[in-house]
Amino acid sequence: MSEYTKPLPRPTATSRPFWDAAKRHELMLQRCRVCNRFIYYPRDRCPNCLSDRLEWQKVSGRGTLYSYTIVRRAATRSFADKPYVLAIVELDEGPRMTTNLEAPVDHIKIGMPVVAYFDDVTPDHTLVKFRPA
Amino acid sequence: MGALTDKYCIVGVGETPHMRPSNRTTLSMACEAVSKALADAGLKPSDVDGMTSYQAGDSTTSAAVATSLGMRLNYSLDILGGGSSTEALVAHAIGLIEAGYAKTIVCFRSMNGRSGRRMGGQVPGGPIPIANAEGDNQFNMSWGWTTPAQRFGMSAMRYLRDTGCTTDAFGEIAIAHRLHASLNPKAIHRTPITMEDHHRSRWVVKPFRLLDCCQETDVAAAIVITSREQAYDLRQPPVFIMGGYARTMTDNPQWNYSRREIHYVAGNYGWKRAFGMAGISHSDVDFISCYDAFTFTTLIQLEANGFCGRGEAGEFVKGGRLQIDHELPSNLSGGHLSEGYTHGIQMVIENVRQLRHRADDACPRWAEGIHTYDRKAGCRQLRKARICCGMAWGYENMASCLILRGIAA
Repeated sequence: MSEYTKPLPRPTATSRPFWDAAKRHELMLQRCRVCNRFIYYPRDRCPNCLSDRLEWQKVSGRGTLYSYTIVRRAATRSFADKPYVLAIVELDEGPRMTTNLEAPVDHIKIGMPVVAYFDDVTPDHTLVKFRPA
Repeated sequence: MGALTDKYCIVGVGETPHMRPSNRTTLSMACEAVSKALADAGLKPSDVDGMTSYQAGDSTTSAAVATSLGMRLNYSLDILGGGSSTEALVAHAIGLIEAGYAKTIVCFRSMNGRSGRRMGGQVPGGPIPIANAEGDNQFNMSWGWTTPAQRFGMSAMRYLRDTGCTTDAFGEIAIAHRLHASLNPKAIHRTPITMEDHHRSRWVVKPFRLLDCCQETDVAAAIVITSREQAYDLRQPPVFIMGGYARTMTDNPQWNYSRREIHYVAGNYGWKRAFGMAGISHSDVDFISCYDAFTFTTLIQLEANGFCGRGEAGEFVKGGRLQIDHELPSNLSGGHLSEGYTHGIQMVIENVRQLRHRADDACPRWAEGIHTYDRKAGCRQLRKARICCGMAWGYENMASCLILRGIAA
């Protein structure tokens, strides 16, 4: 197997539960215990009510494609292997995630239903990506 | 009107050539730009007591420039920022002068934007960026989100889908700005283009073709700001600062796109402030500049700043509306798309030159304000250039604006 050369996340104390969950092939988001909103990306306080009483909850991994773009000219060598799809997915639970969509480019439509899958890019790192549902 | 409307002026402008590559340091280029701006204004280094700059960790400092040019400053500051910073530093200078911290301030941007650190953080041949940042950077770089084209492409795709606008609207902007560059001896790309050229241009990041993307260059540019009282005795006709907004943000300004609509960009929150301060309406504006890192960024700012309704920008730009001698000429130097990418400061400089009636074009007596208005002979000075609205883009989530007026013609 060739070496993985793309950038990898370095979790912080705040974000580690998200990355640990991804490694277990679970999509987990923070949820505010006071106002009940889901939050993404991870942070220390709810941006809605400023409460720090946040808990991690497993979510469905289902959502719709909010927007996307196809990168044909990668900016760095590590992404130059092939064109790839950058996507914003609006999760059923509310927040939007920036991610990759694995789909034939002719079949991509804004608004299409998508579902999360887990890409173990290295033994220690798993990225949450999406494919058509 | 704003309490400080017309009290402060831009009195000097200057820049290096657009170079690819410069083979120079950002300090060397900054000193050239600042020196030229002072000479343009008719000021000596000792007349200037404030200096500010913006950069992305890729440039020299006010202290280095002041040392090189023998200046002793009462105020200095170098900020992190890209597009929309020039206009914000103009607002900043007004406050500083008003409060008495300094009396004449020079603001510069110097970057090896082509041969050095390029936007998105890539250094040619250098290390691959790593996603160890706090906040949202940890949640986009790993998936290959690193460049402005990728980020802005996302709002452009959604905009096209929501409004029914087509990429021909992008073509209109590329054509207009290139036409203006053809009248600018300083511009990198001076050959006019057609809609067919735009259609044939290769994809970079959907929905952007090569002709939708700006020209990264090595360049430095500077402007000088002072009070009206000082300005009257200087070398050039003063250009008055009427109003603006400065690095205004949307909600949720980071890249996770959690705000309601990704193409409801920051200008929507700012333009009433700018026009209110200036005491004018859109119909008073003779020409505009509109930050064109990409064609789309110009398009979306037109509607964000109220020049047309939401979703109407595609129709608005049709038929050459943004071209010289049409209704609303845009980016008369050719802008980032065709003159060269300066993180916005060059647009302020061109606006100042137009408002002075001294666009540095092919007319032999342009420096005296005498123009032929013959486009075929290379004149790019507008006949009527009294009020300009400059719209600046940091990214979807941050924007500035600077409304200026001249006294000439």
